[in-house]
Amino acid sequence: MLSRAARPALRAVATRPAAPNAATYATLREIEGRLKSIRNIEKITNTMKIVASTKLNRAQRAMQDSRVYGATSNAVFESAETKALESDKKKLLIVCSSDKGLCGGIHSGLSRYIRRRTAEDPNVELVLIGEKVRAQLGRTNAKDIVLSFAGAGKDIPTFAEAMNIADQIILLPNEYADVEIVYNKFINATSYEPTSVEAFSEEAIAASPNFSAFEVDEELLGNLREYALANSLYHALSEGHACEISARRNAMDNASKNAGEMINKYQILFNRTRQAVITGELVEIITGATASEDM
Amino acid sequence: MVFAWKAAGLTYNRYLAVAARAVRRSLKEEKRLQAERRGEQELRFAKWQNGKMGELKNLGEANAAAYTQAAGGSAPAS
Repeated sequence: MLSRAARPALRAVATRPAAPNAATYATLREIEGRLKSIRNIEKITNTMKIVASTKLNRAQRAMQDSRVYGATSNAVFESAETKALESDKKKLLIVCSSDKGLCGGIHSGLSRYIRRRTAEDPNVELVLIGEKVRAQLGRTNAKDIVLSFAGAGKDIPTFAEAMNIADQIILLPNEYADVEIVYNKFINATSYEPTSVEAFSEEAIAASPNFSAFEVDEELLGNLREYALANSLYHALSEGHACEISARRNAMDNASKNAGEMINKYQILFNRTRQAVITGELVEIITGATASEDM
Repeated sequence: MVFAWKAAGLTYNRYLAVAARAVRRSLKEEKRLQAERRGEQELRFAKWQNGKMGELKNLGEANAAAYTQAAGGSAPAS
């Protein structure tokens, strides 16, 4: 974004040294101001990158732990071969993003995924976690949204957060056929993919083919469902958080690099322009001197 | 089999949260401070209706209110 915005200005500045002298002085100062502001931006992006780098380690460790945790929680449903029930009830999509931007396209990646899903199957309702997706999906899918959360993802997500969100979702008045949690899956440091994990409804759990092997009381199913929802949410939030931090690190790394390039370019332009001004002045002085000698 | 906490209108997650808080509070001082940070949350949420966003509310308080309501207003939530 930075370089795109600055490029026309660069061209404008570069063509100006041909103009009369008074203007050349102005452009010199202009270039100097630009250089200074780009240097400041570089400093900021660099600092943000360092902050993100230090946070990244912790976030990744939390993600790895929560991944194991989420997988263990889902192992029950895997061995019970639980499947989502086919019914005409609405589907609930929970989108896990966060409040902060400046981290590349991970939020818009999620929004795009949700838009595609809602276009395929409009019989869904949305729960949004994080201000960024709220702003993006609030424009296009406002009527599908039932709940939105803010304030998540400032730090590494805690299980308390996941539990509170899960509780609020359970308290929703509507019955849903299926709950799906959408989050950014961390593939490697540069690529993420919107993925979804399912949290099943009670009927779906009870109807799963191998469930009788577990010998669980019918009454406890509700508890299991609530707990599994919180577990999956925790997993999704941690993984999303790690992705965000890693994406921010990359974005800031790129921004710093771009700023560095621009600084080099402007430095050269600045030197050239100064050189040209000096030469111009010399020519004027010499011409003046020769002219007065002849008189 | 009906649990006392279920009858009091708590969800399983809430029950877990209360239990976890009790465990955290019984830890030794230095461990406790670290552990209590894991129990914090400052989420806010808003309900949406017909494409309009409602008021932002504190999630913890709203949940507590919901539990007292579920319990018929008799039992305090936490």
